[in-house]
Amino acid sequence: MSANALDTLWLEERKLTDLIKQPVIRGILDTLLAFAVFMGLWWVFMDPRGVLRWYTPQYGYMYIRWLLIIAIWQVYIFNFWPFKLEWMEKAHPLKKGLILIAINFAVTGLLVWVFYYNIFGKLAIPYFSWPELKKTGLSDFFSREYSSLAILMMAAIASWLSPIWPSAFENYPWHKLKQPAKGLTVFAVTFLLTTYAYLIFMHPHYRVLFYPWQEYTAAFPWWYNSFHTLSGNFNVGWIMCATVSVWLTETILERYPFRLVRSQPWRGIAGFLFILLLAFILFFSFVFFQDMVWGVSVEGAKRIMAPDWRYLHTGELAVILLTVGLVLYFYFDNWPRKFSTEVNILIRVAITIVVAVGLHWAYYKYSHQLLGTQAGYSHPQQFPMAPVILFINVMLYHNWFMDGWPGKRIKREAEAL
Amino acid sequence: MEKDFSRRSFVKGMAVGTLAGYFGAAGLSSTVFKSQLLPKEKVNLVDIGQIKGLKIKVISETSWYDNNVFLNDVKKAGGLLVNQYEIPWTREGVKAGYLGDNLGGFSTYIEAELMDGKVMKILLDSGWNPHWMDKRFKEEGIAEKLAKKEIDFQVISHEHIDHFFGIESTMRHYPDIPMYVPKGFYQDGFDLLKGKSFPKANVKNDHPHKGKVTVLDSKQVNVLYPGIALMTFDVPIILRVFGEQAFVFNVKDKGIVLVTGCCHQGIISYMEEVRKKIVGGEKIYAVQGGLHISPFEDWDPQYDDLIMAFNKYGVQKIGCNHCTGFITAEKMIKAGLPVVKGTARHMSKRDIYLGNGDELVIT
Repeated sequence: MSANALDTLWLEERKLTDLIKQPVIRGILDTLLAFAVFMGLWWVFMDPRGVLRWYTPQYGYMYIRWLLIIAIWQVYIFNFWPFKLEWMEKAHPLKKGLILIAINFAVTGLLVWVFYYNIFGKLAIPYFSWPELKKTGLSDFFSREYSSLAILMMAAIASWLSPIWPSAFENYPWHKLKQPAKGLTVFAVTFLLTTYAYLIFMHPHYRVLFYPWQEYTAAFPWWYNSFHTLSGNFNVGWIMCATVSVWLTETILERYPFRLVRSQPWRGIAGFLFILLLAFILFFSFVFFQDMVWGVSVEGAKRIMAPDWRYLHTGELAVILLTVGLVLYFYFDNWPRKFSTEVNILIRVAITIVVAVGLHWAYYKYSHQLLGTQAGYSHPQQFPMAPVILFINVMLYHNWFMDGWPGKRIKREAEAL
Repeated sequence: MEKDFSRRSFVKGMAVGTLAGYFGAAGLSSTVFKSQLLPKEKVNLVDIGQIKGLKIKVISETSWYDNNVFLNDVKKAGGLLVNQYEIPWTREGVKAGYLGDNLGGFSTYIEAELMDGKVMKILLDSGWNPHWMDKRFKEEGIAEKLAKKEIDFQVISHEHIDHFFGIESTMRHYPDIPMYVPKGFYQDGFDLLKGKSFPKANVKNDHPHKGKVTVLDSKQVNVLYPGIALMTFDVPIILRVFGEQAFVFNVKDKGIVLVTGCCHQGIISYMEEVRKKIVGGEKIYAVQGGLHISPFEDWDPQYDDLIMAFNKYGVQKIGCNHCTGFITAEKMIKAGLPVVKGTARHMSKRDIYLGNGDELVIT
C-alpha cells in the first residue's frame, strides 16, 4: 500500500495476531489445512470419481472461476458490504467465514443460473445459455460445455480487470464515495470493461466454434496470422498471465514499483501498464520455455504440439506460479520482510519460481491419481487451472473471510494499541 | 519508506522498462533468437523397408449410432474424464441403434503384400458391441479367417470402449492370436483381455486371451515386418485412456500410408513424427482410418487450424471415417482435400467418407 493511498481496503487495515507461532510451523499447518479443505471440496464437487462430478470439465471449471471473481468483488470492490466493518472485526472467524462463503456460493449460482442462463443467454447471446444452445440442436452435453466456457471466460477477464481499480487506481475517481455507491460504481465500470474485452478477445472464438461459421455476428479471429491458431486460447493464455500479474503485484511484489508514483491517476496508469508488461513477459517467456522443452509447436497439430494448447499452458504455468506466491504471502507472512523492498521482492520471486517448478512437476506426476484428472500434459479436456484455482479460492476464503483462523485472529483494540 | 518518484523519472522508468520488457519478451520468442537458442532436433531416420501393395477394408467404423445417447451416458456419469469401465452405456431402446443397441464398434482388416509376395493379414481393433462385431466379422469373412488362424496378428490401437471392449468377438475364434497393445493400457484392459467382466459398463470377455501380448512404447519406431511399422504416441485420451498406436506402411512407388484407429495424437502431429523419424516420411501418399476431429459433430477452432494445415502435406488420398466426423469431412472437401467417398452400407450413415464394407486399395 502506498503511503499516500487515496483509498484502502479493510483487508489492508486489518491487524492480525498469531495464534500459532511462525516461523514455518503455522505456514506448513495452514498450507496442509487449506489443501485438506481443497481435497474435500474437489472430491464432493469436481472429482470424476467423486460425488457430484461437475468437472466434466468445463461445467465445474466455470463455477470455480466464478467463485474466485465473486470473492474478489466481495472483498476488493464492495469491501465486505453489506456487512459492517465493526461486525467484521468482532464476529468469530468461523461464523464470518461460513456466512461469507455461503454468499459467495449463492451469488455464483444466481449469476450463472439467473443472469447467464436465463437473461443474457436468452435475450442477447445464446451461447451463454445452455438451454438456449440446446434448442438450436446441439447435444445436451456440448451445449453445457460451450456455454460454460463462455461464462468462465467472462470471469477470467473480470479477475484481471476488476481488481485493478481498487488495487492500482485506489478506486480513483470514486474513492470518496461510500459503500455501496463506490462498490456499485467500480463494479459497473469494470464489468463494462470486462464485457468489451470479452467481445474483442473471446467473441471471435465463437465465430468459428459453430458450424457453419457465424460470420455475420463476430469478427474473424484477428490474432490468427500472427499466432497461428483460430482458437481463443491465445487470449486465454495472456489474459491469465495478466490476472496472475495483478495478484503477484498485489502480494509478493507489494505493488512495487508503481506505488512510488506520487498521485492518481498516474499511479493507476503506471500500475495498469506494469501489470500488462509483466503479463507479456510471463506469456512470451512461457511460450519460449515450452518451445525449448517440447520443440516449436506445429500449426494444426494436437495436444502438446498444438499452438493453442501452448498458449493455454502459459496461463496454466502462470497460475501455478501464483499459487506458490499466494502460499508464501498468506501462510509464510510474505517472507522475507527484513531487507530492503527490492531485495525482499527478489528473494520472494526466486523462491516462488523454484517452488513453482516443483509444483508443476508434482501436479503432472500425481494429479491423475489424486484428483482423477487426465494423465499426461496436454488434452483439450484437461485444465490444471481448475484444481489450482479451487485451491486458491480456499486460501482466499481462509485468509480474507476467516482472518487465517485458527493460525491467526484479529488483534483486539487494546492489543493493537 | 521510499521516496516518491518525480514525473520525469516515472516517464523515463516506464519507457526504459517497456522497451526492455518488449525486447526481452518478444526477442526471446522471435525466430532469430529461437534458431540460436532452441536445441537442435536429432535426426535419426529409420528405414522401415517397403511393401508391394496394401488393401485396407473397413469392417466397422460405426462406433455408436446416436451421439446424443452416447453423450448423455457420459454426462450422467460425470463427464469426459470418468473411467470408461464405470459408465453404464445404453444398450437398449435406441431407435437409430443396431437392434435397439447404441453400441457398434471400430475394426479394420488389412492385407499387406511384402516384397517377397507373402501377404500379411492384420486385424486392427475389435469393436465394442460383440453382437454387432460378430455379425460384421461373419459378413466380411473375418470370423472364418480368425478361426483358421489365417490372421497373423491383432493390433489394438488404444484402450477405448469402441476399439477394445468387443475383444470377445476376436477371442471366441482365435484366443491365442498374437497381440500388440500400446504402452498406457490400464490394468483393467489387461484384465478384460484375460477374461474379467465389468458389469457396470456391461462388458465381458468369456474367452480369455492365451497368446502373446506385446506392449509397444513410443521410444522407437516399431518395425514389425519390412515395410510395416507401428508408432506409439503418449497421448492422454478422454474416459481415462492413455496412449495410442498407429500403422506406417511404405508402399513401393507410392509412398507412406498411415492407417489409424482414432488418431488421438492428431493427424498433423502424426505426419510430423513420420517425417522426422522415417525414411521417405516426407512423401505421405495416403491416410486411412479415424482422424478424431469431430467425433460427436462438435467443433473447436483448433480443428479448423488442422484442416487449414492439412493441405500443406500433399496427401493424395484421405480414406477417413469413424471419429473424423461428418462436419470435418464436409469442411475438408470444401478445403480441397482428397477425401475418398464411401458407399454408406451396413449402417454407415453417409457416403461422404469410407464406410462399413468399403475398401481402400493401394498398389
